[in-house]
Amino acid sequence: MAETWNPKIVGFLCNWCCYAGADMAGTSRMKYPPNIRIIRVMCSSRINAEMVIKAFQMGADAVFIGGCHPGDCHYVDGNYRTQKRIAVLRRLLEHLGIDPRRLRLEWVSAAEGEKFAQTMDEFAKEVAELGPSPLAALQREVL
Amino acid sequence: MEQELKAHLKKLMASGDVAGIIALKSERGMAKPYLFADASELECLCLTPKYPMASVARLLLDEDGAARFAIVCRGCDERALRELAKRHQVDLDRLVIVGIPCDEEMARECACPEPFPSVVAVGTKLEQWEAEDIGAAYRAMELDEKLAFWKHQLEKCNKCYGCRNACPMCFCKDCELENALWVKHGRLPPEFPIYHMIRAFHLAGKCIACGECQRACPSDIPLMVLNTLLREDMEELFGYVSGTGADAENPLYTKEEMQ
Amino acid sequence: MKYDNILTTCPFCGCGCKYYIQVVDGVAKSVLPCKEDPISEGHLCIKGWNAIDFVYSKERLTTPLIKENGAFREATWDEAYGLIASKFKEIKARDGAKAFGFFSSAKTTNEENYLMQKLARGVIVTNNVDHCARLCHASTVAGLAASFGSGAMTNSIPEVEDVDCFLITGSNTTEQHPLIGSRIYKAKEKGAKVILVDPRSIQLASIADIHLRQKPGTDVAWLNGLMHVIIKEGIADEEFIEQRTENYGEFKAEVMKYTPERVEEITGIPKADLIAAARMFANAEAASIIYSMGITQHTTGVDNVKSCANLAMLTGNLGKPSTGVNPLRGQNNVQGACDLGALPNVFPGYQAVTVPENREKFEKAWNMAEHIPESIGLTVVEMLNAAHDGALKCLYIMGENPMISDPDITHVREALDALEFLVVQDLFITETAEHADVILPGTSFLEKDGTFTGTDRRVQRIRKAIEPLGNARPDWEILCDVAKHLGSDQFVYASPKEIQDEVASLTPLYGGVTYERLDKEGYLQWPCPNAEHPGTVFLHNGKFSRGLGHFFPVSYKPPAEEPDKDYPLILTTGRILFHFHTGTMTRCSPKLNKEVPTGYVEIHPSDAEAMGIADGDLVQVSTRRGTIQIPAYVTRKVPEKTVFIPFHFKECAANMLTNPALDPIAKIPEFKVCACKVEALGESS
Ligand code: SF4
Ligand code: SF4
Ligand code: SF4
Ligand code: FES
Repeated sequence: MAETWNPKIVGFLCNWCCYAGADMAGTSRMKYPPNIRIIRVMCSSRINAEMVIKAFQMGADAVFIGGCHPGDCHYVDGNYRTQKRIAVLRRLLEHLGIDPRRLRLEWVSAAEGEKFAQTMDEFAKEVAELGPSPLAALQREVL
Repeated sequence: MEQELKAHLKKLMASGDVAGIIALKSERGMAKPYLFADASELECLCLTPKYPMASVARLLLDEDGAARFAIVCRGCDERALRELAKRHQVDLDRLVIVGIPCDEEMARECACPEPFPSVVAVGTKLEQWEAEDIGAAYRAMELDEKLAFWKHQLEKCNKCYGCRNACPMCFCKDCELENALWVKHGRLPPEFPIYHMIRAFHLAGKCIACGECQRACPSDIPLMVLNTLLREDMEELFGYVSGTGADAENPLYTKEEMQ
Repeated sequence: MKYDNILTTCPFCGCGCKYYIQVVDGVAKSVLPCKEDPISEGHLCIKGWNAIDFVYSKERLTTPLIKENGAFREATWDEAYGLIASKFKEIKARDGAKAFGFFSSAKTTNEENYLMQKLARGVIVTNNVDHCARLCHASTVAGLAASFGSGAMTNSIPEVEDVDCFLITGSNTTEQHPLIGSRIYKAKEKGAKVILVDPRSIQLASIADIHLRQKPGTDVAWLNGLMHVIIKEGIADEEFIEQRTENYGEFKAEVMKYTPERVEEITGIPKADLIAAARMFANAEAASIIYSMGITQHTTGVDNVKSCANLAMLTGNLGKPSTGVNPLRGQNNVQGACDLGALPNVFPGYQAVTVPENREKFEKAWNMAEHIPESIGLTVVEMLNAAHDGALKCLYIMGENPMISDPDITHVREALDALEFLVVQDLFITETAEHADVILPGTSFLEKDGTFTGTDRRVQRIRKAIEPLGNARPDWEILCDVAKHLGSDQFVYASPKEIQDEVASLTPLYGGVTYERLDKEGYLQWPCPNAEHPGTVFLHNGKFSRGLGHFFPVSYKPPAEEPDKDYPLILTTGRILFHFHTGTMTRCSPKLNKEVPTGYVEIHPSDAEAMGIADGDLVQVSTRRGTIQIPAYVTRKVPEKTVFIPFHFKECAANMLTNPALDPIAKIPEFKVCACKVEALGESS
């Protein structure tokens, strides 16, 4: 298993910014790791704690959330809520024994294709270093 | 303190200001929440053990849309009522709070952050109280130790929902713990760790550290550890302590940017 | 506004949690745990928390119904009573008392069980009275009575916390007796050892020091094997055997035939594990055996129980705190229903009907002209067989649902339809009630007073919190009314308190139990023979009820039906946390129903793969008795070649499949093992 393991990253990307950024990275053929599975949402604040935890529960090694830069949220203050929520959730993950580095929030605008590619690159490397999520292994045990 | 309180309540009742008093009544040697409507019954008033009185107040205020009640409150009861009022679950204008302090033994058992209400009607509040830091041992653990610890603890869960049912701050009509999108129905123990993480997260900024959840847990799961750590986080990250003044709002529900 | 909390006892499992019902202006709002109750200590399981849901269910029956031309119509109480009286009199005059049968109920109160058997024995004059204990713990009652002289849990629930070593077998404790399960966790945190013997990987497996997964139906073999090792290694309690027991020699000769090698062959339990478990159990300071229906529901049920008794005696684990042989009774009041004589062979307090003095005593107390038969009456299963054969014409069923709970349902249906007259008293129009001629609406635990006896012989009060719904009446009142309409003047009671006073005067076991004491002391554990007696926390202290404990040599017999090429899998059945018994109460609760809305069959992944079944697929399960369609739950909880079905669900009733083969002594059916086959249907449910 050790050789075949490739980190699984779930990316929740805001439709108005980060998703467009990812799109741009794609169309301009910037290279970023294929590990990320993208889920498009209308605003980063759509992502509640349950969704993030569920992603880990279902075997994700890491979760990425991409939203609009401060002041740019299509729904005015959605990203501020996301920011606070994720800050607390990272703490909770840590309390349960899950490395908070596995959950990352970034602001990426529609124009920042390169930033997206770079961030993903960096994140995938970091997760690779962290190794498989211990929760993923636990889930396989039970049935 | 009990005699003094009874005298105080008799006067309050005589004033005609309230339709009844929410407090504990002793019957056949056991305490139970009760609505005292008659001064003669106050002889049976008692103070322990602790029951989630804020939840009783919420039920009674809901059942009767107009009446005013008095309620005998400990520190945690008052914190719960304040936090409930912020979420529009109780109308503080319809409650007369009769504050009583906890003695040292009770305060220690609860590791209560503040074992007395803002105004103490009878009795004297503890001086120089400092609660035990129940999060200390856990903060010191390595990540894998923490995970193993919780795995062991949460595997004992009987999925009774008692931690939620007993919590004065869990008032949602539709609870996400029962949503099969997140937690598979009918599995015992409930899926680790999502069930307990959802509960803990939903209480962030709401938990007023009354300890009822842990006391309701048949499996002795140290739920207060998670609650306490998150209360600390809320304070560290946002300077918010739930159960305090009506003007402070849970930052997770406000639109301001994080500082 | 009036707001109060009424202290009552849970109507579900035998733990006997007491809790408050929050009542606002006569309406029950919710359950509030009682922090000072010694059993629950302020904790409850999910059923307890949701216990009021079924009371207000729209399905509740609130008026008597009489069947006319195949359909039910609403009737007045007088009409219903009048019809019952005239049919009963007609049948009795024509066919005699032996044509009658009475099913009492483990869900009703002690007082109501007393009245039911009084109606059977004192008014109709038959011993044909029984209840569903036949289907769960008849083997316990028979087995432990033979070994020790008393057929009940020897120790008490609070003592479980201080056990040093558990042997838990055939009890999925955290699901069926949650407040005992939680104490096993507490004991474990204090350092207790846990030996689990169960084919399934139940929740307790995660804390078990040793988990032995026996082939279902081989319990005598592994129990004998454990004792073989204990004797051979010289770690038996010689002093206890010497002073407190008899017949050791004969017993020893039998168990010495069960070498670990032979046991491994029969049960599939690895030899080394068996030896380790034997040492762990015998060397513990206070070791306790906890079992439930996994032991009793076999054709060798009584043998299994006697083997558990042997093991406890062999290791001296009796008559001391936190030890003992602890059968966990499933229903809230199954202990009480047995105690109060809702059994065909005994009067209240296990006073045998075959003893002339006992009959005289009750005939005199009840002012009877006729004589109570000296022979024991028919059991539940035998009554249904007699109905099937036409010998039994009239059945009165209170609060039971044999159409779901009994083995081989097709046979039950035919039996009910063969009856001339069937009276059903229940809260709902159950599958059984549909076959009735008259249905009488009884009341739930919230609407009446009375007592329940929990699994640890703990008599506790239930208290009326709300008025009966609609036209429904408390079951004790209904029984009194029926008796009066049959011409009896022996059923005049102002309240259940007076019934209990009569019980106390006739039943030494309950002699000191009064409502005044229960109110003051909270509970009383029998035996409690008189007003000064404090009640009994654990049995057999210094002396067994029968004097010396008796070692029975028990030899292994295979289950009545074993897998073969047509039916290659083992089917085992049981209960789950979220539902209770035939589901009539718990399936009305939205919260409980949401957790588990229907039945399922647990199949091991390797079997599922071989049969092309995926998790959630609808499959067909068949035995020689019947066939059901049911969703598959693919899980490692069950071992290979074994499937498990919870029996609560009528739409995929496990008891269409189970084997009605009986234990020869206790007449308990073999619910826990039969041969079945599973076929994929190629549909997902
Ligand atoms: S989470 Fe626990 S401690 Fe916090 S308010 Fe709820 S019951 Fe009280
Ligand atoms: S109270 Fe304890 S056992 Fe019940 S659901 Fe909560 S954690 Fe689980
Ligand atoms: S079902 Fe059993 S464990 Fe659950 S609350 Fe009722 S008595 Fe207690
Ligand atoms: S719209 Fe992009 S974060 Fe709200």
